Amino acid sequence: MTQVASDAAGGPGFARSPWAARFPAMRAENISLPAGAGGALSGGLVLVGLGASVATLVMPMIGEAFKWKHAIASFHVGAITALTMSLGALFFCMVFHLVNAGWSVTVRRQFENVASLVWVGLALVTVSVMLSVWKGGEGLWSWMGMERGENYLLDKKSAYLNTPFFLLRLAIYAVVWLMLAGLMNFFSRKGDAEGGTEAAARARLVSAPGMLAFALTVAFAGFDWLKSIDFGFFSTMWGVYFFAGSAFVSVATVTMILAFLRRSGRLEGVVTVEHFHDLGKLMFAFCVFWAYIAFFQYFLIWYANIPEETAYYIHRKQGGWENLTTLLMIGHFVVPFLILIQRGVKRNPTLLIAMAFWLIFMQVMDIFWMVRPAVYAGAPADAVPGATALPLDVLGILGPVALFFGLLIRKVVSSPLVPLHDPRMGEALTHKNYV
Amino acid sequence: MNAPARFVTEKGQPLYGITAEFATPAAVYHAAETIRDAGYRAWDVYAPFPIHGIDEAMGIKRTKLPLIVGAAAAVGVLLGYLLQWWGSNVGYQTVVQGKPFGSVTEGGWESFVPITFEVGVLLGSFATLIGMLALNGLPRHHHPLMKKDRFLRTSDDLFMICIESKDEKFDPDRVKELLKSAGGTNLDLVEDK
Repeated sequence: MTQVASDAAGGPGFARSPWAARFPAMRAENISLPAGAGGALSGGLVLVGLGASVATLVMPMIGEAFKWKHAIASFHVGAITALTMSLGALFFCMVFHLVNAGWSVTVRRQFENVASLVWVGLALVTVSVMLSVWKGGEGLWSWMGMERGENYLLDKKSAYLNTPFFLLRLAIYAVVWLMLAGLMNFFSRKGDAEGGTEAAARARLVSAPGMLAFALTVAFAGFDWLKSIDFGFFSTMWGVYFFAGSAFVSVATVTMILAFLRRSGRLEGVVTVEHFHDLGKLMFAFCVFWAYIAFFQYFLIWYANIPEETAYYIHRKQGGWENLTTLLMIGHFVVPFLILIQRGVKRNPTLLIAMAFWLIFMQVMDIFWMVRPAVYAGAPADAVPGATALPLDVLGILGPVALFFGLLIRKVVSSPLVPLHDPRMGEALTHKNYV
Repeated sequence: MNAPARFVTEKGQPLYGITAEFATPAAVYHAAETIRDAGYRAWDVYAPFPIHGIDEAMGIKRTKLPLIVGAAAAVGVLLGYLLQWWGSNVGYQTVVQGKPFGSVTEGGWESFVPITFEVGVLLGSFATLIGMLALNGLPRHHHPLMKKDRFLRTSDDLFMICIESKDEKFDPDRVKELLKSAGGTNLDLVEDK
């Protein structure tokens, strides 16, 4: 066997990859990007992201018209969107290891890349939390500025909803997610460097308890960072709702990365139309799952008709917000459902890029729907004070999301595009859908 | 018996087809490719277990079943919704919990969603089962191949291909030649009775 690959071209450990010798598609230039590729785009996005984020958070310091609550809310929407991409990707990394998935090996590295950026989402959310703690009642979480005795429901919930415990939980989520995302990446890169099957086995071992910790932390993070903005609301389904959106947007993000990599001439014969078909199925599945959870959370509350629960939805069903609610029903479920149910669409990477962009936009709108109506008590007529709302919302959302994608490009370029030695690589390279 | 049989066996029975046996899935797979490329349409592969990719090797087109199921599910969704809409708004108007009777414009459509979904799933699954059986020509009580003792081994350790006499290209000598050249052994005639 001639040794055409070198460590320099394919990254450490490439030359010893058993798959490189057996599959011509595993040649170095096919599964790696040159150092510095996409540097301009990445740098530009990071600059735009930082600029927009800083601008959003500086605006309330300058003008009276710009409210802190509003600025933090808009920024929070972007921050949570970035965070959910990483959380969903972390979920898929662990699921792939847990079920010993073969087909997903060639796409798993991109899930790992997205998951490894969980620190970005965490840092961004920490910014909105810290600003809110600093601003108290003017911040996003109005309960942070409220005294005992002011509100009956808050008093009842105060054992959980108090600032010190809130910050402690933030720290716990951060430790759990950074550790899990770090371990997933550590074992994957370790496998690249050392070969053998041990790294994959270790990753699976970590994934089992990891999944348990992930489920609990994600559910409670959803309660803390989204639901408790409206602290009077009750919904035990909220954790699943938050998770459904996360899984959904992470598949869209990874599909987009892979489709762009294919367009740049990489991963030829490694990530094939069969893999896109499967990613399309996941997109479709989580699109339906999201709709199921979102509707039934609403449905039970609508049916039971208990005032403290219905207030949340009534607020979002009148005064202009109903347009956003309708957009979510149609744009987040009906349209993607009818498009993605078609086999041809799932097997067309170009169409999947368009779908991925749309679905990421819908995730932003979903988070926006959760966060933004809480900023002003009344209808959007009060919520749009002159022309100040739109720039804040656009900048606030754009900042964190652009920053995330800028850093993501850098991350994707930094290592081989697939796990080099994974024992299931052969299965993934010859993967085929028989339906 | 409508039209007289195109081919008959020495016993005077109408000919159903010609079988050939294969020992391994790989052999039957490649034989299938050969027969597909020779342009035959009325033939089938018999194997003890599903062989991945055999559809492609046989040149079988994708099933129309999803379209049938989709249409049935859409009808189910429509029927389920209409059933409830008619019952709540026209037939038996009843105020429940002070909620609207239920329509998309006036509100109250929410209560229709579970049943609408369920009827859609119900008709969809009926269409899946019945459509699958119909497209496969099932149920049938008898198949000419069942008369062959060696055919029973295709549910155990044997792979078989049968080219049927109703194929337009069917010509006994050329079919035998083709099956032999594709690696088939123990060629045999199957009577249609």
